[in-house]
Amino acid sequence: MRLHHFKYALKILIKNKMLIFWTFAFPIILGIFFHMAFSNIETSEKFQAIEVGVVTNEENMMTKSMKAALEMLGNEDDENAIFHLHDLSLENAEESLKNKKITAYILLQEKPKVVIHSNSIESTITKQVMEQIVENQSILMNIAEEKMAEMSKEEFSNPEVTYDKIYQKIIEEINLQRQNTNTIDKSPKKLSYTMIEFYTLLAMSALYGGIFGLISINQILANMSSKGKRVAVSPEPKKKLVIGSVIASYLVQLVGIFLLFFFTIFVLHVDYGENIPGIVLLLFVSSLTGLSLGVFIATISKASENTKTGILISLTMFTCFLSGMMGVSMKYIVDSNIPFINQINPASRITDGFYSLYYNNDFSRYFENIFSLLLIAIILIGISVHTLRRQQYDSI
Amino acid sequence: MTVFKAYLKVLDKCKVPIIIYTVCLIFFGAFSLESNREQMNFTKVKPDIYIINHDESGTLTKNLISYLEENTNIKTLNEKNITIEDALFYRDISYVVEIPKGFTEDFLKNRQPKLEVKSVGDYEASLTEELLERYMNTANIYLTYFNEEELLEKISHTLKEEVEVEMTSTLDSDSLSEIATFYNFANYALLGGCIYVICLILSSFQKDLVKKRTIISSLPLKQYNRSLFIANSLFAIVLWLVYVLLSIVMLGNSIFEIHGVFFILNSFLFTLVCLTLSFLLSSLIDNKEAINGVVNVIALGSSFLCGSFVPMSVLPKSVLQIARVLPSYWYIHTNEYLKTLEVVNFSSCKQILFNSSVLVLFALLFIFLNHEVTKRKQRIK
Repeated sequence: MRLHHFKYALKILIKNKMLIFWTFAFPIILGIFFHMAFSNIETSEKFQAIEVGVVTNEENMMTKSMKAALEMLGNEDDENAIFHLHDLSLENAEESLKNKKITAYILLQEKPKVVIHSNSIESTITKQVMEQIVENQSILMNIAEEKMAEMSKEEFSNPEVTYDKIYQKIIEEINLQRQNTNTIDKSPKKLSYTMIEFYTLLAMSALYGGIFGLISINQILANMSSKGKRVAVSPEPKKKLVIGSVIASYLVQLVGIFLLFFFTIFVLHVDYGENIPGIVLLLFVSSLTGLSLGVFIATISKASENTKTGILISLTMFTCFLSGMMGVSMKYIVDSNIPFINQINPASRITDGFYSLYYNNDFSRYFENIFSLLLIAIILIGISVHTLRRQQYDSI
Repeated sequence: MTVFKAYLKVLDKCKVPIIIYTVCLIFFGAFSLESNREQMNFTKVKPDIYIINHDESGTLTKNLISYLEENTNIKTLNEKNITIEDALFYRDISYVVEIPKGFTEDFLKNRQPKLEVKSVGDYEASLTEELLERYMNTANIYLTYFNEEELLEKISHTLKEEVEVEMTSTLDSDSLSEIATFYNFANYALLGGCIYVICLILSSFQKDLVKKRTIISSLPLKQYNRSLFIANSLFAIVLWLVYVLLSIVMLGNSIFEIHGVFFILNSFLFTLVCLTLSFLLSSLIDNKEAINGVVNVIALGSSFLCGSFVPMSVLPKSVLQIARVLPSYWYIHTNEYLKTLEVVNFSSCKQILFNSSVLVLFALLFIFLNHEVTKRKQRIK
């Protein structure tokens, strides 16, 4: 008899097609959309060699050395090359720029000029690099001039030698610069911010799952449905009814969220980091928080079932919005300006839990999230129990 | 006329959810523009960076920082609430430079101190890297020739070197991409709004008893469909007008230029497609509860796949191939094309004409299908 109510609560939930669609299918569909839309976004932001045309307007020592310097930076075999160079005539360069085959072309003359189509970061980089080349030349010219002053007359009378020297020096200098790094790279390894989208998706699914708790509690409330009235007058103790409903809802909810979780791992290849037990614990806890939210809304409000689901769905969407579902930077903006909001926002806590496991395996941050979620769940369940215990109906 | 009047009556009854839904969509539209403004600055010349300075008093450090100040945006972070790592992850900054203790002294004594950097590896980070390299290389070269005071002066002087840049495009690309972003988002709002409202209202006409009454009346099916169609157009056009008005309020005068007019006309064509699609969907769906699911899947799906939320330029090619079967693709494609359209003449507008004809074909197809579906449904009854 103990399992009797549990069994029926489970049956009612599973047979509700709309419910299954919203909690099982919809997050998966959304996940597919995210995957299709975001899979390329980070590669497109990664730096790739810029297509640059080179037009030699004047042929002399200066332009030759500039070209040599450019070729150093645009070496085809070098993975870190800044440029892909294309030798072009002026007409071809104009045509290619118009068709966006190249980002910019460089006019090599006494005072070199960079021609771009429109403002972009690539054109800024091109300008920046060109300036560096011109600058190196002037530096070496200055130094060479100083040296020339010290030279003997014989050496000085042979201008070719000095030009050659300058030319040689520039090449050497640039070679040296490429090898000599002034920095130590300490960049974090995992920087894929689109992962946050999928974490918010799990948060959404966990909180949406509260609908199960909401519906099944509604089934036993006498003021909500005639079914509730019948259940209420039965000799079955209320405690048993509530526990049966809640366990059934939690079970269905867990099935839903793990389905989504496996789907994101095996089909969408979402990276959750290495700490599998931590992730599983987080999934259990977040589902519990979702459940408590659903139960809380069901008991606290006297509105119709549709309104209650409406409240839960809009609350979920709003909390997910704040945790970065509609634009990852939203969570960061809230975190840095009004951190309190995201401290009590369960969706944000769930997202942050996944983030701390993925990004830097920060356990103190992870457990802070877990405890906050548990605290939210305990408070909500506490209030619900308190409300349910006192409910008596003189007339409905 | 009877059908039209009935439509208005139902519209009046459903006004609360309709108003809420429409206001939400408009709000999101406005918000998408606000939040996107910052992303558009991707093309901005100054990258966002952060500096951790352990060499406050060093002269070279000061000189380096003032150089970076000129060429980058040095951000201050609210470190009470977030860490530098967070800021990097969420791309608030693209590059972190840590200047070690005693940097100036070590450098001047030729001990070659190293700067610790963290980078997200995007274009902004590469630009900062270039800036930093440029500074350090100049300083290194001069170090052998000059003493401290001269060194700083020489570095600052040399780094002022500029190369002339010529821009060939005459387009105001910033304001055009703003308009394009707004109208690309409208794809979601128009599609979602039309399908939701029209299906909601027409579901009242699909109720068994109402339907049976309509079928046995002397009213021909074509005429019945036409009346409903006109009534629905009224709603769709109002929704479209609200969007156009909003774009005028938010984007200002640039909308009245020739490009802006094209954007508006394109969105009108798309509204017609949304209208006919909603009409078809309402005949297909009998269940009022299912409307919500269908709206979300269709509106969100075409928005994600066709470049309404994420720009078309960063979508994978395979996704764009699939997206061609959706009307949204052709609508957004025109918007993206308009963004880069330099001269307006017949040959440059060929692409727009082609895309628009595809949209018209979609609308005609949906009208035809709707007629077929309603005819068939009538027979079964």
